[in-house]
Amino acid sequence: MTYAYLFKYIIIGDTGVGKSCLLLQFTDKRFQPVHDLTIGVEFGARMVNIDGKQIKLQIWDTAGQESFRSITRSYYRGAAGALLVYDITRRETFNHLTSWLEDARQHSSSNMVIMLIGNKSDLESRRDVKREEGEAFAREHGLIFMETSAKTACNVEEAFINTAKEIYRKIQQGLFDVHNEANGIKIGPQQCISTSVGPSASQRSSRDMGSDSGCC
Amino acid sequence: MKRWHEPKPAPSGASEAGPGGMAERPPVPACPTRRPGRLQRHLLSGEFDQLRDLPIFESNFVQVTRLGEVANKVTMGVAASSPALELPDLLLLAGPAKENGRLQLFGLFPLQFVQLFVHDESRWQLKVKFRTGRAFYLQLRAPPETRDRKFGQWVRLLYRLRFHSAQGAVPFTQEYSALEDDKDEDPRRRV
Repeated sequence: MTYAYLFKYIIIGDTGVGKSCLLLQFTDKRFQPVHDLTIGVEFGARMVNIDGKQIKLQIWDTAGQESFRSITRSYYRGAAGALLVYDITRRETFNHLTSWLEDARQHSSSNMVIMLIGNKSDLESRRDVKREEGEAFAREHGLIFMETSAKTACNVEEAFINTAKEIYRKIQQGLFDVHNEANGIKIGPQQCISTSVGPSASQRSSRDMGSDSGCC
Repeated sequence: MKRWHEPKPAPSGASEAGPGGMAERPPVPACPTRRPGRLQRHLLSGEFDQLRDLPIFESNFVQVTRLGEVANKVTMGVAASSPALELPDLLLLAGPAKENGRLQLFGLFPLQFVQLFVHDESRWQLKVKFRTGRAFYLQLRAPPETRDRKFGQWVRLLYRLRFHSAQGAVPFTQEYSALEDDKDEDPRRRV
């Protein structure tokens, strides 16, 4: 499968915030309520369409537990996009965002696009972090912000795709050097060759979606 | 770039870098002209910059249940994140993508959080157990004429990993225990 660009994403944030569930929802369109703790890095991939260009998202789902952090942060390098995830029902996961953000900024390209995600928006009755707090944090640190639910799929597509849109916009503005591998962007092969990597866990084309979705 | 296709086939003592050794002795392939394995070629294809230059010892397996029933195809490799390391420190798991059968990398796991055991030597089976308790069984897929040799290389590698690890007390060959609470699981937990 040909693609114009490959973008490397990382998903980071505290353990149990739903990083792996977000990935599973995005790549396989399903939700798994009980999920094993992630050790190291697990991978997912999917094709999306941005402005008529096929873009392959290669997603590195990292372990959130503190004991794995020193290992997983070494894989932040070369990411074009990051999904920084917290759980809207657990205040402490929001409080730890600064630490995650410092890590991300320290170990990756300064151009990396970061999407702040308040996950588990379906659990409104247990909400512990107001949407406005997430918005304020994102504004203060120059992040994009969305609340999502990996369970209901609300805003999951948008979170991944809007991050890709922003990366693509930066490419068009010349802010990303696509020939520098450290930026987490690769130019796709001109044509499919038999030895190329299989496209993805779940390869679908997505329509170019609007930046706002009112489902959450 | 260092190419580490296979541990040295001859047995060696635990105090020197033999099978699995990364630093003291260059990882001389048993067969220098051997083509890189599927996983190595997959990583060399260019989509995984950070993993492209990893020297990997890999084999193809089928996942089996504890009783030996065959499930999925799995390619497992061990790699060193740095050529300076004496022993590999990463486990890589890959398998065919659902859509087209092409190899797809599922995960990369620090070996310090994974234990590898010989499950059934007569069936060339290994057990992979994560620190979280998740475990599965893999049976080596290789031509009959090379299967014993290849499995022997895995056994020696496991031996070196075990006796060089901080948790040296963990037995090398795990005996089945009725108290064992782990269960068969799919390494491709997303698939």
